[in-house]
Amino acid sequence: MRKAIACVVAIVSALAALAAYGGEASTGGDPVAQLAAELHDKGWIAFAAPGTGGAWDIFLARPDGSDRRNLTNTPDFEEVAPRFSPDSTKMLYRRLAKGTQLDHDKWGFQGQLVIAEPDGGNPIVFGDEGEFPWASWSPDGKRVVCLDKKGIEVVDLATKEIVERYPRQGIYQQLCWAPDGAWFCGVANHGGASWTVVRVNAKSGELNPVRSYQNCTPDWFPDSRHIILSSRPAGQPGAEGYGYTQLWMVSGDGQEQRLVYGEDGFHIYGGALSPDARYVAFTRFPKDGSGAAYGGAPLCIMRMADAPSIGGLSPDLRRLHPDTKDGPILVLDPAWEPHWTYADVGGDR
Amino acid sequence: MNKAARERRVPLWIAPVLIAFVAASCGGPPDTGEDAHVTTMGTAEVTAELVDLGGELIDRPMYDYAHVMKYRILKVHRGEFDGDTLYVAHYNPVKARADVADARVPEIGGSLKSFCVGDIHRMALEAPMDDFYMGGIINGFFDEWKGTIYWAVWTNRSGRP
Repeated sequence: MRKAIACVVAIVSALAALAAYGGEASTGGDPVAQLAAELHDKGWIAFAAPGTGGAWDIFLARPDGSDRRNLTNTPDFEEVAPRFSPDSTKMLYRRLAKGTQLDHDKWGFQGQLVIAEPDGGNPIVFGDEGEFPWASWSPDGKRVVCLDKKGIEVVDLATKEIVERYPRQGIYQQLCWAPDGAWFCGVANHGGASWTVVRVNAKSGELNPVRSYQNCTPDWFPDSRHIILSSRPAGQPGAEGYGYTQLWMVSGDGQEQRLVYGEDGFHIYGGALSPDARYVAFTRFPKDGSGAAYGGAPLCIMRMADAPSIGGLSPDLRRLHPDTKDGPILVLDPAWEPHWTYADVGGDR
Repeated sequence: MNKAARERRVPLWIAPVLIAFVAASCGGPPDTGEDAHVTTMGTAEVTAELVDLGGELIDRPMYDYAHVMKYRILKVHRGEFDGDTLYVAHYNPVKARADVADARVPEIGGSLKSFCVGDIHRMALEAPMDDFYMGGIINGFFDEWKGTIYWAVWTNRSGRP
């Protein structure tokens, strides 16, 4: 009898272990469930979402959506746009006065810059309202690069002094420093066209366009050679000619242009790569503006190996990209401007 | 006057309403456009005729733009200008100047309600515009003009000086 009970316990334990680790047996061949299982232990994603009472807070969750927790939980402030430092020992975000309407194009100079532990602990308000606009991390995590009318400014975190300044060259939002330190990317007016993503050489200041016409939210791949961005290409018949915003992967010199994900009827924003660039998180919303005015948009995750992928029927988009792989997309709770780390910032709970 | 003629007469109140309507849009009664803002804000001040909008004004409330327009200078009140052609960027030009200030551009305004070719504007200006504005720019004159583009700080309707 004991032997039989032990045998049953062993079988149940084995099945439970398989379920916990997300093997084939637990997903039943469902590609989305397989993706979720694959993602479970791939670090953590920080993002903004409405907390208790509706104010924006910073949340942390596993990439499969599990272990979701509110890091800031401050009903008297709106907190958005978290970014882990390159070594994931810190996190920066912006803290807005309660009730401030988050604006998808102005958030970089809304509110105050806050620097905290990666789990949200020990938040330090770094500047006054509107100071350190569009701050993002330097590769060594000891400085932030900001975008001001006066230029691109590198600020030392220890002294708060501007230690370097570069000409702005028409860049006006969403500035990011490449992991290798050699480049900046941002959204600019260039060659007579606004909403052009550009790359700037951090030594020479030389600028080149990366992708023109209706592009934004650029961020670097870990290789510092490619950029992920949102783009609304011209000539789309959908939305009465307004078109839909798609996620694209572009080389820094602008030579390679590749669709990552698109779906007619939805605008794709907030592209955030996993640290090894094997996965990408993004938000998907039927209205333009990334869901900033609607408490965020469903957070989606796909494998980069499945790019390009197209969602839904999307006949117009499929005509342009017949090579779509239509890989699985994991859809999670609404979020805004996610950022991904493989460091164990969430710990065990 | 017979009854039919009385019924055909335009009511007297129509006239001031029409005048007010026209004044509120394009071609209103002329004045100097002078006020305490336009004469003190910015580093330059002109009265100029709007000669080219530089393309269709985009009405997308979700996005902010500065739109470059072409003017012919009629009178320089402050500052120095080369020639009589002027390129001026106006922020979100589909909005009345009194309503246009926001978090991105907090200190602009004026009495102008809409932009119409042929109208005369008295403007307080700054330059170069990149020192005063950081956002999307629609510049239909990019191939035509590589020189200074002025930033409109205050824009009032004006009569011809």
